[in-house]
Amino acid sequence: MWKEPALTDDEKRILQGEEGTVKQKCMQYLVEMCKISGADRLVDLDGTGDMHTPGISLSQHYNITFEEIKDFADKGGRFAIPTFADKSPFGEQAPIHGWEHCTVCFDMNPKLRHDDPEFHKKAMHEEEYAVLRKMGLITTHSCANYLTMSYLPSVGQHCSWFESSQMPYCNATLGARTNFDGSLATCLLAKAPYYDMHITENRLGTVLIETDRLIKTDLEWDVYGFAVGEASDVEVPVVMGTSRPTTTQYQKFNSAVATGGAVRMYHLPGITPEAPTVEYATGGKPFKKQVMIDEAVLRNTYDSLNYHTSDDVDMVYVGCPHLNIVDLLGLSYKLDGKKCKIPMWIMTAPWLYESAKNLGYLDIFEKAGAHLMSGACLAAMGAVPGGVRSIAVDTAKQAQYITGCYPDDDGYLQVCYGTQDDCVDAALSGKWRGEWR
Amino acid sequence: MPEKIRLHGRCEYPGKVEAEALVAPKYLQGFTNVKPMRGYTTERNHPLFKIPYTDKVLVFYSPRGSGGFLAYGFGAKPAAFVHTKSSPLTVGCALQAHVPMMTDFEDDPLKYIETGDIVFVNADDGYIEITKKQQKAVD
Repeated sequence: MWKEPALTDDEKRILQGEEGTVKQKCMQYLVEMCKISGADRLVDLDGTGDMHTPGISLSQHYNITFEEIKDFADKGGRFAIPTFADKSPFGEQAPIHGWEHCTVCFDMNPKLRHDDPEFHKKAMHEEEYAVLRKMGLITTHSCANYLTMSYLPSVGQHCSWFESSQMPYCNATLGARTNFDGSLATCLLAKAPYYDMHITENRLGTVLIETDRLIKTDLEWDVYGFAVGEASDVEVPVVMGTSRPTTTQYQKFNSAVATGGAVRMYHLPGITPEAPTVEYATGGKPFKKQVMIDEAVLRNTYDSLNYHTSDDVDMVYVGCPHLNIVDLLGLSYKLDGKKCKIPMWIMTAPWLYESAKNLGYLDIFEKAGAHLMSGACLAAMGAVPGGVRSIAVDTAKQAQYITGCYPDDDGYLQVCYGTQDDCVDAALSGKWRGEWR
Repeated sequence: MPEKIRLHGRCEYPGKVEAEALVAPKYLQGFTNVKPMRGYTTERNHPLFKIPYTDKVLVFYSPRGSGGFLAYGFGAKPAAFVHTKSSPLTVGCALQAHVPMMTDFEDDPLKYIETGDIVFVNADDGYIEITKKQQKAVD
């Protein structure tokens, strides 16, 4: 049976409803999470929060009504830690910018399309966000929130984030501490169940991953990340054989490692903050296993992420995770003066969309026939535009997930996966020429 | 009476239920790679692609990928979950599913359970009991 977590007197008072029903439901939810996870107590959060939004319903079993949250906000209720909205609003997941070009049908009702102004207006859930912003929610709306937060947690701070690619970004890249639990409950109370990545010994490296190829390009980081994930499952890998990652490569690796596996923490010895050396990363303990991801494994991983029988491409999608400003600059160089033969969609964080506009990149994209959008994700929207049977992408995560939207006709949606240059080439030619080199 | 194999483990979500096992020989993944209202995985090249798990005891090593693994706890969900390793992904799923879920067994349940075996999940008392399908046929 379950063990009860030890609560402080303040936590007990919240659980008994002395601070209102909203906080009471949040505490009930956290207590249940403690019991499920085996956490014996809650930890006070001193970092930041990140949550799927609007997120008023904590689960099927713990629902906070809009009236309750509005009343809470009107009475001065606020988030207890700096809290950011990831992704565009659920459940429609519509683009924040560029939606006029988004010809995807709403997956829950194919009669509705994202480029319909009326549908878009409803999908922005303004009534709910007005209340959540009053409570302090910072509506960055990005799966790569760390690009625009302008307020990152420091090493050792306890956080509560919720986005698979952001788990390793928070834990490994930044050295802050989070589990997959960002929600109204954790962010309103500044508390989370104390287990897994909040505990120092659980963060130590347990498996050694090596490779016989120097990992240095964006594609290599992405493919290696997926393979490291598959080799590590829930363990904490110590990853060897890489160059120093750029921001783009951290984005690729973090999203891939949390797609191929359940990796929420890893170490790059000499690079990530909790791994000055291999010995420090492991706490001096022996590895449970050692894995060699050699050239053959990397090639097999690349091949498994490609899923196509034809070289014809109907559409190109880049921006998973959302592109940073340097990637947008690079794309503007590649598309300047060119003309796309097939649709090309470029996804970024909403707060970078305006920057890209001001810097002139948006104009270059539009002249090339490419569409810049923000906040959303094709896989999260659950569909591709009608008629698209083959899509080119430059991220393992999107390559792995997008076909799951089309289970009824095996092979309906084909995926070409490769570098950003391969994707640009496909956009200009309609042909796929990417390969593992 | 067929011999029953008993394994002790940790209760993630309480309750008792007996049902046929469906074993995933590969990590399970959520988000777009599960259709919760239909009750099956849609991950391409997965051994359980479109094989219904509804009302079965879903047995697997651990999940991978998105927090959208919690969708296995929606809609046409399994009768119970039995898995080798826990993670925040299984915690998120248990919060949604509210059906018996167990992990951290004295030995890996995947060594003992095959698809079609009958598994009694007694999360309240901290054990599962496996009746092998061949024995059941003879019995």
